[in-house]
Amino acid sequence: MTTKFAQRGAVLAIAAAVALAGCSTGTPAPEDTGAADTEVVSAGTLTIGARVDNNSFDPANLEIGNRVQYWQPVYDTLIRLDAEGQPQPNLATEWSYNDDGTVLTLQLRDDVTFSDGEAFDGESVKANIEHIKAGTGQNRFMVEAIEEVVVSSPTEVELRLSEPVPPLVSYLGWVAGVQASPAALESGTIGDAPVGSGPYLYDAAGSVRGTEYIYTKNPDYWNADDFPYEEVIVRPINDVTALVNALKTGQVDAALLTPQVAGEVEAAGITVNTLSVAWVGWLLADRNGTVVPELADVRVRQAINHAFDREAMVTAIMSGYGEPTSQVFNTASQAYDAELDEYYTYDPERAKELMEEAGVDGFTITAPEWSGPWTNLFPILKDQLAEIGITLEYVTIPPDQAVAQALSGDYPTVFFPLASASAWQDIQTWVAPDAPWNMLGATDAELDQLIEEAQYAQGDEQEEAFQEVGTWLVENAWFAPLFRQDQVFGTNAETTVTMQAQNAVPSLWQFRPAAD
Amino acid sequence: MIAFALRRLLFGLSLILFATTATFFLVYRDASLVTRNILGEGATQADLDARAAAMGLDRPILVQFLDWLGGAVTGDFGQSYFSTESVASILVSRVPVTLSIVAVGVLVSALVSAVLGILAAVRGGVIDRIVQVLSVIGMALPNFWVALMLVVVFAVTWRLLPATGYVSPAQSVSGWLASITLPVIALAVASIAAATQQVRGAMIDVLDTDYIRTLRASGVRERSILFRHALKNAASPALTVLSLQFIGLFGGAIVIEKVFALPGLGTTAVNATLQGDVPVLLGVVAVTVVIVVAVNLLIDLANGWVNPKVTLR
Repeated sequence: MTTKFAQRGAVLAIAAAVALAGCSTGTPAPEDTGAADTEVVSAGTLTIGARVDNNSFDPANLEIGNRVQYWQPVYDTLIRLDAEGQPQPNLATEWSYNDDGTVLTLQLRDDVTFSDGEAFDGESVKANIEHIKAGTGQNRFMVEAIEEVVVSSPTEVELRLSEPVPPLVSYLGWVAGVQASPAALESGTIGDAPVGSGPYLYDAAGSVRGTEYIYTKNPDYWNADDFPYEEVIVRPINDVTALVNALKTGQVDAALLTPQVAGEVEAAGITVNTLSVAWVGWLLADRNGTVVPELADVRVRQAINHAFDREAMVTAIMSGYGEPTSQVFNTASQAYDAELDEYYTYDPERAKELMEEAGVDGFTITAPEWSGPWTNLFPILKDQLAEIGITLEYVTIPPDQAVAQALSGDYPTVFFPLASASAWQDIQTWVAPDAPWNMLGATDAELDQLIEEAQYAQGDEQEEAFQEVGTWLVENAWFAPLFRQDQVFGTNAETTVTMQAQNAVPSLWQFRPAAD
Repeated sequence: MIAFALRRLLFGLSLILFATTATFFLVYRDASLVTRNILGEGATQADLDARAAAMGLDRPILVQFLDWLGGAVTGDFGQSYFSTESVASILVSRVPVTLSIVAVGVLVSALVSAVLGILAAVRGGVIDRIVQVLSVIGMALPNFWVALMLVVVFAVTWRLLPATGYVSPAQSVSGWLASITLPVIALAVASIAAATQQVRGAMIDVLDTDYIRTLRASGVRERSILFRHALKNAASPALTVLSLQFIGLFGGAIVIEKVFALPGLGTTAVNATLQGDVPVLLGVVAVTVVIVVAVNLLIDLANGWVNPKVTLR
């Protein structure tokens, strides 16, 4: 028996040696994943390394963030958002609101067909919006206020809203605007077999779920000039070290990395593209003083903001890939005001003065702590608060329950990294009285008034109104933001990319071959 | 023999039932934790409740378990909470990946450890000492470190083999071999080190027995003594070690799959555990138990074949 084992082993060893020799000559079969494939992969194929696997191709369950990489090849959206996040024509060529912002009228292209041969028209828009609204997906909120879709003609639809939704046009550049064939929506198989009008067709037979998703060029696409690649492959690789190795060896052309590996990949000739999307810091949830009465005093919350050395944190924790800030809104947000970034500086003496003015002589707050990327930051935060007389007691929680625990309402303060999108969306998520991240339901009449003014304003007035909300939040220290975290997106020498405002990864049309 | 196999089969089925039941109740968590992971940070409680109802997670835990069990008996392991993929389809694509690196790892381990063990036992002296030192080093090196070093040298620096990914043999045999070579080496190093010591010790014991001396005195050729008599008797403990290693390598595969981004059972189990994807985790547990029971059964049968003293009852 042992002899048989040995014979089989010898055959295998020889085969492995042959394979090894084959690879080293640099002429592997095209389907090999060997590093020598680099030239083949980059000639007409864009291979993206994705940090998460795909969940579904069903428009009702599509997600933004990392997962746009799976659906943008197959689906068109009504609007296209440019690199700055500004809406541009796509399937919708023009759009306009009525006076009170409750009806959005869209003019549609008349030369687009889905990959099953069905024509795209107003009825398709209605079917898709109703499909998303009937579902229970992550982005259903984007269409929630659309009470009715009225199809005036094949090339015109009206979206009638229950109330103004300031970023609705932007939403139509994401999941709310995704257009799938209405016949496919009814088929019950769209989760696995997408039928869209996008620049690429999903090759279900060639793809292996969990390993690689292959998209081939759609020969009938109406806007082919914007998509130079013959083929797009998305490979889910959730381990950052593995992703870095895949990028270094040319197995992938582009991938979302982390600040911690940016220096290493740059040294290996990888281009590091950055854009800040998320802010990292404290939600001073008990700003009405329900659990910790001291937090109701604005001077105490301002003192907390002065306690943190943001510059040092960006250098030490983020390897320099971040920007200190005192505001929660991203730089492309309507509510962003560059001057607010440095509103609170590291000034423990000023913090102590504020505590004294408030008549507070030290108190204790609790917050959840979990192991993960912020493990090194937690003790620093505790020490810096201790310096101004505040005792921070951490409650250790399992990492997979971080969001649920943070939102439980059990803690007066919560440290968290949060992605920032449109001003309205951020306000609905973190600030409004019923926002999930306003965990203890804090309210303020003046703030509510400012939010309402922003909701009903339009154009420049709306931007000013949102900035007033942003200023109010900083002055009243509802949060203690520390820094904006840079997204670090690596591309190899054959690929260039422009980062996409308000999303973790660039959109597909932002990729170009380097020589292009 | 048949009664033995049937008894083991029955034992295996009970083990699957026990392991999956225990797993279900250990990893089961509040529906809102699962739906929060699906719907993200911005979801309201109403969104979470609607999703839980759509997925049937609002039903009592016992009803959910019995529902799963009823399906599993008929081969329907349900659907992942987090994707449209069925658990059966996930297992069909992930099991071959892990089996590839573990089975080839065991084969390589058996072959190399047999050669090194026999060499050390027969030659002794400097060779024995070198093999022993290498064995100790092999056992001391963590497999993830070995894996990372292999990637740095053979994939990143020399570009000989792929750094990540898996190619199925149906797609390309050479691609498959290239994709599993580094993971297999990383996985097998510690296993080779342990098995070499086992083979060496067993061979030294056997070669020192009276019947070997008698064979030598009868003029039987040394090669025949070594391979036809001594090795066959030394094989039994080595086979037991091998079966244990096969199971042990399944655990090691979790780390190795992560380093090489292989979409195998280990990666699937870790992701399912972190997300709370109960149906996928139950599928992984069930299939792992089946593999472990099957391997143990095969090794028992092989032991009975190589060693007549072993009786299968």
